[in-house]
Amino acid sequence: MLVTKILIVDDEPIMRESLAGWLERDGHHIDTSASGEDAIKKLKGTRYDVLLVDIKMEGISGLDVLKHVKESDPDVAVVMITAYGSIATAIEAMKNGAYDYLLKPFDPDELGIIIEKILKNQAQLRENIYLKAQFKDRTRFESMIGQSRPMQEIFDLIMDVSPRDSTVMITGETGTGKGLAAKAIHSNSSRCMGPFVVVNCGAVPEHLMESELFGHQKGAFTDAKETKKGRLEISHGGTLFLDEIGEISMRMQIDLLRVLEDRVFYRVGGTQPLKSDFRVIAATNRNLEEAVKEGIFREDLYYRLNVISFEIPPLRERKEDIPLLAEHFLRRFTQETNKSIDRINRDAMDELMLYEWPGNVRELENAIERAVVVSKSRYIMPEDLPIFRPDYCITLKDHSLKEVEKAHISKMLNDTQWNIKKCSEILGIDRSTLYSKIKRYELKKPD
Amino acid sequence: MQKIIISPIENIDVCSDQLLGQEIHRTFGFQTEIKSLLQDINFAYDLKRDQYHSTVILEKLANTSPSQAFKVAAITDKDLFIPILTHVYGEAQLAGKACIVSTFRLKEGLSIANIEKELGNRIVKEVLHELGHTFNLRHCHDNSCIMHYCRSMKDVDRKSNQLCRYCKILLEDELKKL
Repeated sequence: MLVTKILIVDDEPIMRESLAGWLERDGHHIDTSASGEDAIKKLKGTRYDVLLVDIKMEGISGLDVLKHVKESDPDVAVVMITAYGSIATAIEAMKNGAYDYLLKPFDPDELGIIIEKILKNQAQLRENIYLKAQFKDRTRFESMIGQSRPMQEIFDLIMDVSPRDSTVMITGETGTGKGLAAKAIHSNSSRCMGPFVVVNCGAVPEHLMESELFGHQKGAFTDAKETKKGRLEISHGGTLFLDEIGEISMRMQIDLLRVLEDRVFYRVGGTQPLKSDFRVIAATNRNLEEAVKEGIFREDLYYRLNVISFEIPPLRERKEDIPLLAEHFLRRFTQETNKSIDRINRDAMDELMLYEWPGNVRELENAIERAVVVSKSRYIMPEDLPIFRPDYCITLKDHSLKEVEKAHISKMLNDTQWNIKKCSEILGIDRSTLYSKIKRYELKKPD
Repeated sequence: MQKIIISPIENIDVCSDQLLGQEIHRTFGFQTEIKSLLQDINFAYDLKRDQYHSTVILEKLANTSPSQAFKVAAITDKDLFIPILTHVYGEAQLAGKACIVSTFRLKEGLSIANIEKELGNRIVKEVLHELGHTFNLRHCHDNSCIMHYCRSMKDVDRKSNQLCRYCKILLEDELKKL
């Protein structure tokens, strides 16, 4: 849900609670911290859109919290709260990246205006990121690739559901290719000659969503200089792809449900009912069933969208597709950059297979793109891959995986009395790979 | 039969009590009763700020309300505050029982000739708004909706005393849960 997550950090319970209660009525999700220490702990587990931080606190001060946030996630907006006497510190905070500061007690309007401004900026930022990713997908990632059983099943499903006109819900982690699956359904349907219209429900600010979907009449609101068709109207005869449907606001859920029920809608400021014939495909990386239970997603809309559903498996559950995908991306990026790189070195491929890919296919795509850029030879080597940079290893916490691998190989070698053929069979890797791992991990045969 | 109690504090003259009752019934579907639950709110007075802490009043209202009171809407002419803010026009327990509205700042900009009627309209709108919060409704972007958060009295006068179609559905959802 596009609910703003706000963290209030103040060591005075009464200030904390009164502010939390006030902001809750605006529909925001509020967390509170009684100290800087607790705030930093919370920030490790949750991503907040806005932080309201009291400057003067025992222990870790508000300024320290600000510095921590700006180092770890500079896009988070931090508003400092200060008493009259500490304006100088507030100004220092602004120099350190604070969005603004409020003198307490503050006028309710001041707070509302600041939060509104922050959310508008953040929504614009999200939309830019989405448009860039979409452009990249369109130009680079036109087909779905996979020979694994789970992907073959997905392809069968796509072929099966495409000719029907039913609503489809696609779930799966970020980067698994939900958008591609939606496009594939559209391309294989009788609507393929019609438009494929994408709405990213997570990127369009709530106040613009109504006009984005339904369009508007000239003069409907201040910025409505011309009459504009909405995405529902544009998708007539084609497919409407509602990406990140789990982020849609409660209000738009109500409108969307109504449109899906009778396919009739009005432009904002319009009085003429409009009809549009489109198929709906929705996608989300959220657990919508949970969202329904939590009361943040309408049950009636959930059932209306969830007519046919399938989940795209994460890359770690179909590792056999990694070589195929990696080679595909290698070909694409070498063409784009005019570099002559023949293939991915065997050790590098082993490392690709060992990695868990939390960002899925998109992360793999980015890793190969970077490797092509940095590679100085005809092969992609392990050190060309971003996942092997020491700082990267630490952040992704796969350092221990290497230790596990080293320990496991060492044990298998000892168990097989250093019989390389037998050991490589048990480990499921070829002998040369085992030799290179022995060398890399400096494993020595006991005397 | 559960009712919504309208509770004037210190016998404040709610010039529009009949209209208020009708509007509450029309909006939320509950009958109303006028009953003074608190004689005064001195217990919530803050000497330093010369204002009354509304959260403290809400707690007392919720605790002292009779069993047949489904919700309580108190009205006072005293200036209200919550500690972090300079003032509030009113406060409500979100999805809770009690709310309060202050008329202290509602008189701003009213002409003497029409003060009774215009103040009455503002009180009605503010009470409906705060009661809406007790039904778990949040602020609404639609500036004509009663749940719209107004930054000025001009905005209060401009908004209608109706819920927009979204808020109506969200209210229906809440009422179904009862």
